[in-house]
Amino acid sequence: MKIVVCIKQVPETNDVTIDPKTHNLDRRGLAGVMNPFDKNAVEQALQFKATTDAQVVLLSMGPDDYAQSLREGMAMGADSGVLLSDRAFAGADTLATGYVIAKAIEKIGDVDLVIFGRQAVDADTGQVGPIVAEFLQQPQITYAATLRLSGPNEVTAERLLEDTKQTLVAQLPAVVSVRSELNPPRYPTPRNIQLSFEKPLTIWHHDDLDLDDSRLGQAGSPTIVTKVYAPKPVKRELTPLTGTPQEAASQLIKALKDRQLL
Amino acid sequence: MSKPELWVVAERRLDHIEPTTQQLITKANQLAGDRFHVVAVLLEATTDHLEDELTTYGPDEIRVVRDDRFPTATDAELADALKQLVDAAQPNTVLFGATITGRSIAPRLQAKLQTGLTADCLDLRFDDDTLVATKPSYGDNIMCEIICPDRRPQMATVRPNTFAAQPTPNGAELTTAKVDFHPVTRLHVTAATPVVNTATTVGDASRVVALGRGAASAATIDAATQLAERLGGRIGVSRPLTDQDRFTHDDQIGQSGNTIHPDLILNFGISGAVQYLVGMQDSQTIVSVNSDPNAPIFAASDYGYVGDAQAFMTALLGQFA
Ligand SMILES: Cc1cc2nc3c(=O)[nH]c(=O)nc-3n(C[C@H](O)[C@H](O)[C@H](O)COP(=O)(O)OP(=O)(O)OC[C@H]3O[C@@H](n4cnc5c(N)ncnc54)[C@H](O)[C@@H]3O)c2cc1C
Ligand SMILES: Nc1ncnc2c1ncn2[C@@H]1O[C@H](COP(=O)(O)O)[C@@H](O)[C@H]1O
Repeated sequence: MKIVVCIKQVPETNDVTIDPKTHNLDRRGLAGVMNPFDKNAVEQALQFKATTDAQVVLLSMGPDDYAQSLREGMAMGADSGVLLSDRAFAGADTLATGYVIAKAIEKIGDVDLVIFGRQAVDADTGQVGPIVAEFLQQPQITYAATLRLSGPNEVTAERLLEDTKQTLVAQLPAVVSVRSELNPPRYPTPRNIQLSFEKPLTIWHHDDLDLDDSRLGQAGSPTIVTKVYAPKPVKRELTPLTGTPQEAASQLIKALKDRQLL
Repeated sequence: MSKPELWVVAERRLDHIEPTTQQLITKANQLAGDRFHVVAVLLEATTDHLEDELTTYGPDEIRVVRDDRFPTATDAELADALKQLVDAAQPNTVLFGATITGRSIAPRLQAKLQTGLTADCLDLRFDDDTLVATKPSYGDNIMCEIICPDRRPQMATVRPNTFAAQPTPNGAELTTAKVDFHPVTRLHVTAATPVVNTATTVGDASRVVALGRGAASAATIDAATQLAERLGGRIGVSRPLTDQDRFTHDDQIGQSGNTIHPDLILNFGISGAVQYLVGMQDSQTIVSVNSDPNAPIFAASDYGYVGDAQAFMTALLGQFA
């Protein structure tokens, strides 16, 4: 069995600021780490590996320094990593990202299960998984809260919708995106960290894949970000309530009556 | 020439319409003016009448497609049905609620249509016929405006409770459409248990007593419960309190919880982190009690008291009695 886990590298913290001059995100000095939700996906794949002969391949699209989070995943126990890195891929939105990832999964070949994290904590979309599932023409299970191999060629998942708990059974190959409730991800052991440097990390560039150039990068991305800004919480005119709690409470009651809230 | 169509894809929540659908119809009506034809698209079983819960909100049209397989259909099957409807009508814009369901079907449809989809939006407007969608990223620390200039339809999922639903007397024209249902045989829903949640959620309450880490003792929570009862409201919590047995994620207010806009919210012992504020800053009247005069929550409040949460609650309850 072959499992691909898609991982994205994200800034270490979400406390990003905006450069007042360029109005661009200032990500200087922020180290890259594996998207926290993707660790749940890696953990799930490793649990399958422990009970079957599964081979776990990590897949990531991004600049060369994304190799760092691929090593992180291999240090958790994944067998190998593939990095999709090319200037032609840069500036991709979810559609163009999903396209290249789906093409790479086809090239990896004989993939039984593709696991995604719930969402990338920088972009916060959760769209790439379903997009890849559609491009691969495979069934999808999103937001899986539990996942198990229920047959030689089958996974069973539970998914919690707003109003319903669903049990879903998919014949492999299939695409699953997982919630963080699924598991606590393991930490890399010193031995696995050491081993991770011996595991194969392959880089695929544009010419390694069979791609339609009009679907790549910025040109292949239907959406454009036209403005980036820091949200200003609407500041309100504060009326202080003063004195003892009793005094303050009666001031509040009067104010709420004036506003016809009492 | 007929007006371009602005779609809201209706979502089912057990035997009802998901409230986000109604919120989106109201917003779509406001955005449409005379320029767009607002269509609520409803996929339902032959015995359903969910359109009754949409008419009140006055879209121009409710386009109903009936098939008994819809209520239990999988994401790919629903996306396939919507793809056929989009191909037939060529809408300008398609909106979904950013619920689990909406966020699962919309990107699948997006890939079929090879168009743009902006996730989890907090605001929408039109520049001519281009949708400008405001989307938070980096855990709500950054806002982005995103457009899809060249491809149609342009699509967005919108965070629940971002807009308020308003009934209107306009009514709606009821039409029907047909699609071919293409079953996906490799995926089955083998069980579906309703998550019984009879109590109104914090998202629906018009009065909310919100508790944070500074109002977490059992005695304070008891006082807050009485206060919520007296006000006819509900208790909501900041994220740290979801660790307590009494509260769950459903009670949480904020970016990763509920976005609410009640008539009145009383915040007790909540510092006012941005992830909390985004969930409640559109409340009508905001009152906050915090022992720290510099707590950021005060800048987002209409009334504030610097002092102990429980003492204030006790005083308030005393004066109600
Ligand atoms: C990606 C992300 C998503 C998040 N999503 C959410 C979310 O959806 N919702 C959410 O709430 N948080 C969320 N958080 C966490 C958020 O950043 C804050 O950590 C959290 O809101 C703090 O909760 P708090 O105000 O209750 O606790 P604290 O920040 O610890 O504040 C406690 C407050 O109580 C006051 N206090 C103490 N004792 C008393 C007393 N006796 N009387 C009165 N006041 C007292 C203190 O002065 C202090 O201001 C998220 C964080 C991240 C990174
Ligand atoms: N550049 C990328 N490379 C590999 N996987 C990705 C990439 N971007 C997103 N993903 C995967 O898609 C999931 C959803 O990401 P997003 O749609 O960006 O929120 C992530 O949790 C990852 O599993």
